Amino acid sequence: MVLTDTFRNSFNRRYTSAMDAPTDRDLILRARRGEVEAYGELVTRHQAGVFNVCYRILHERGEAEDLSQETFLRAHSRLNTFDVNRPFGPWIRRVAANLCLNHLESLKPETEFDEERDAAEGAGPEAVVEVRERGEQIRAALASLPARFRVVIELRHYQGLSYDEISAELNIPLSDVKSHLFRARKLLAEKLHAPD
Amino acid sequence: MHLTDDQLNEYLDDALPKRARAESHLSTCAECTARLSALRSLAAEIESLPEESLARNLAPAVTRRLTSPAAAYSGFPRWLTLTTVLQTAAATVLIASVAPFILEAASTFIPALQAPPVMETILEAQRVWTAWLDALSQFQWPSPPELPASLGLSNFYILLALAGTALAWLVGNGLLLRSQIKQ
Ligand SMILES: [Zn+2]
Repeated sequence: MVLTDTFRNSFNRRYTSAMDAPTDRDLILRARRGEVEAYGELVTRHQAGVFNVCYRILHERGEAEDLSQETFLRAHSRLNTFDVNRPFGPWIRRVAANLCLNHLESLKPETEFDEERDAAEGAGPEAVVEVRERGEQIRAALASLPARFRVVIELRHYQGLSYDEISAELNIPLSDVKSHLFRARKLLAEKLHAPD
Repeated sequence: MHLTDDQLNEYLDDALPKRARAESHLSTCAECTARLSALRSLAAEIESLPEESLARNLAPAVTRRLTSPAAAYSGFPRWLTLTTVLQTAAATVLIASVAPFILEAASTFIPALQAPPVMETILEAQRVWTAWLDALSQFQWPSPPELPASLGLSNFYILLALAGTALAWLVGNGLLLRSQIKQ
């Protein structure tokens, strides 16, 4: 299928510095034919985005780097299932979010989440004073959420997925998407707007 | 009636089915408007989080793992080296060769020991194996080492020690390799 000019132009502006540089689509097609270097170029282009997904969910740099690497390896093994007419960035970032969720859930099977206990823990003034920068406060607040809440926040707020898309991506019912998202927001509001 | 938290959340996400009705309520209710704006500023705050830069380029590591077959993501496990295979084979042969003697010796200590039916095929295989070993024992070494009788060591104990060593070897290797398998 031939890309429309508009799409191709926006693609180039977004993913390449020069007009003659290969598009993501070209690189994916070459990677599918076994050109590892082409895939390396895709990694270079998208690693920052993928790393940030992992870092927001895992809150630990080294772990986020490892999971980013795993994301690209996993995506490579599934490259044949990827629709080349869709943008690669959003797809690989969704793969990353899913992989991080699996990783967190494999670490410790989550016990039934106790919102009251958790809110009490995070709302103390010392917890707020310790993290000075607002960015760090947001990261710390995200890290305090249960894994599934974190991933739903990631997919909704940072990747812009709809409820239906999140439901399909995580393979959970729509009602769970909503309850996870709304409860996560409530907890984040409590943590971020705690009186200090 | 005020909008529920769920309705406000859905409104924020452009996912509320009866949006017009919610809007008409919001136009007259200061309380719900305030709740919605709190929710909006929370969303803006979450999304304001700056992206962090990556400390190292991941591309070389990814392409390396894609090109080296032993370390490939879905290839052979990395720990399955030639050494491991040879060691395992050697230990297995050693254990198999001494097993009949141990079974035989054990049955003299526990006369009532009955081999379960499942064991019969295994024992049959062992009989073949022992027959082969017997044939092998006809082979004469230039000078067969003689153990002094005063030590009181029978062949059985020597073989037992050998089997123990082989087992320890196998288990020890397994423990050493465990950390590598996890990676
Ligand atoms: Zn109201």
